[in-house]
Amino acid sequence: MNRAFLVLRKDALVLIRSPLLLTILLAYPVAIAALLVLVASYGSSKPRVALVDEDNLPETVVIGGHRFHVDRTIGEVSKNVDLVRLSPDDADRQLRDGKIVAAVTVPPGFVATLKGMVQSPKLEVELSRGTISSRVNQQVQALVYSLNRQLQRAYIGSNLKYVDLILKGGNGVILGRQFNVLGLERSQKLLERMPQTPEVRGLEDFIQDARLGLADTGGAMRAVAHPIEISYTHSRGRTQVLSAQVQAYTLAVTITFLTLMFAAGSLAAERDENVIGRLARGLVGLGQLVWAKVVLAAGLALVLGLAIALAFGVVIEVGNVTGGEPWARLPLLVLGLVLAGGSLGALGALIGALTREARTASLVALLVVMPIVFLGLIPSEIVPPAGWASAALPFTHAYQFFSAALWELHPWDEVVRQAAWLIALGAVFGGLARLGARRLLA
Amino acid sequence: MSSAQPLLAARGVGRRFGQTTALEPVELEVREGDGVALAGPNGAGKSTLLALLAGALETSVGRIERRKGVKVGWAPQRPAQYGRLSARENLELFARLESEPDPEEAAARLLAEFDLPTKRSPSANLSVGNRQRLNLAIAFLGKPDVLLLDEPTAALDPEQRRRLWERVGALREAGGALVLATQNLEEIERHASHVAALRDGRVVFSGPADEYDRTQADTLFA
Repeated sequence: MNRAFLVLRKDALVLIRSPLLLTILLAYPVAIAALLVLVASYGSSKPRVALVDEDNLPETVVIGGHRFHVDRTIGEVSKNVDLVRLSPDDADRQLRDGKIVAAVTVPPGFVATLKGMVQSPKLEVELSRGTISSRVNQQVQALVYSLNRQLQRAYIGSNLKYVDLILKGGNGVILGRQFNVLGLERSQKLLERMPQTPEVRGLEDFIQDARLGLADTGGAMRAVAHPIEISYTHSRGRTQVLSAQVQAYTLAVTITFLTLMFAAGSLAAERDENVIGRLARGLVGLGQLVWAKVVLAAGLALVLGLAIALAFGVVIEVGNVTGGEPWARLPLLVLGLVLAGGSLGALGALIGALTREARTASLVALLVVMPIVFLGLIPSEIVPPAGWASAALPFTHAYQFFSAALWELHPWDEVVRQAAWLIALGAVFGGLARLGARRLLA
Repeated sequence: MSSAQPLLAARGVGRRFGQTTALEPVELEVREGDGVALAGPNGAGKSTLLALLAGALETSVGRIERRKGVKVGWAPQRPAQYGRLSARENLELFARLESEPDPEEAAARLLAEFDLPTKRSPSANLSVGNRQRLNLAIAFLGKPDVLLLDEPTAALDPEQRRRLWERVGALREAGGALVLATQNLEEIERHASHVAALRDGRVVFSGPADEYDRTQADTLFA
């Protein structure tokens, strides 16, 4: 029987006999992956924005004959931000402390200017400094855009009432003055009852043309206000939580934690148990020992990864959502899990060889995992050095493999490229681990 | 191969750990029937020399020569076994690694010979004495020609010591050899034919056991 296999079987037996360790090894990375997904989803969460009211906004404002409930309107237009009312001093302090990302100030006279409908009142926006300021700017612009849309609707509705009054006639109010309008329809009927002289026929033709023209006023006004409208439809594809991207991240993060910690700890444990000397004296070569840890890491990654993939697949089936290929792509995922687990296991074995003590190895592996994962999460287009560093580590390639396997319509090019990366990195780290394993004998 | 060639030999073997020299170059030969005692105080280099002879450590200088076909059994001072595996599982695993033809039978035999518990409880839960017995039992796997034992009797009761020396005696009578690290003068007198006394990593005495007397031992440990 192959000696590396004997060590592998021993490690599996030891792992099974350590239910607490096994539970932690399985549960911890899943918990971390879930937390990372939550953190990642925070990226699309609502930023906290202050509303500084220096105009003492009333409960309701009537603009263009349309009554706005201020709080309700603010609630409707601030769906993408968490808008909190603050005094100018509080807003200034919290902006400096980073507790809010922007302050929107309603200056004195804002409502009066708005009601006058002659000039455009201005909101004052102060943004925090930092990398997310552009995103916050977009959110605040979206907020003002929403407010403008509400007002446009009101203005258009108000203007259309006057148009309707001109068409049909009746009582109206402008700047507090009541008046009565005959209206084009009634004017036309009056003219029909009058002797049909050329002048009367001319007036009838004009009224008819005016009625036809004014009938399209609503559509024309809306078109001017919004030359391009967006039509939203809700697809039946995967939700964000179930998306292939999240699934790929969950798989990559989980197996990175598991394999690094296990491979590092189990190789160093051979020294802790004082067995390394027995093995190294011709029973099991150091290369075979490293190989056994790599294979075990690959096996663990396969078991845990498949369990996660199956869980995702079942939820997708039960939820009756479409999108992705949860079952058809499973064989491809198996290949990725084995390669990623092996490559990460080789890196873990290197950590175990260098640290030489199981507890230290596990701690170092834990400390190393977080930077590896976060490096992989930083888009290389934004921070190129992070991309270069990440390319030299298996996590990113594992993620890209899983992402392609689960998501891409034609995944083969990407899968082959990432598989080559994982094999190459595994060979490099495995070779270094073999060299470093000599330290275990000292 | 000529029988003049020793079963096991250290040719100018030395070992450094970083800047620290644990063992200066040493010459040692082990022949059929030999009982070589490595004597000396703590830190003298006895365990290092045994580990080098066993092949568990790489030499910094010199080389270890082993006659072709000669098998070596090694029991380090600190028991070397897997704590999560039972005594039987440890023996079966190492029996397979030692290419025993029938690992289960070898494990069962050594469990009985060393009076080890047959329960499935992890060996980490065994008493200190039982752990040392398991450590020694593993050294007997693979039918070794040379036994390298590091302070083997420290945790054994008198009856187990007696049984151990019986087995070692049988091995030597069958043409095998023993290399023993010890600080026990009585063991040297009864079981050694040759003594290599070490101090601070250097061999300070090498000769027949009957020339190694209490005066030299007292000087060595002074």
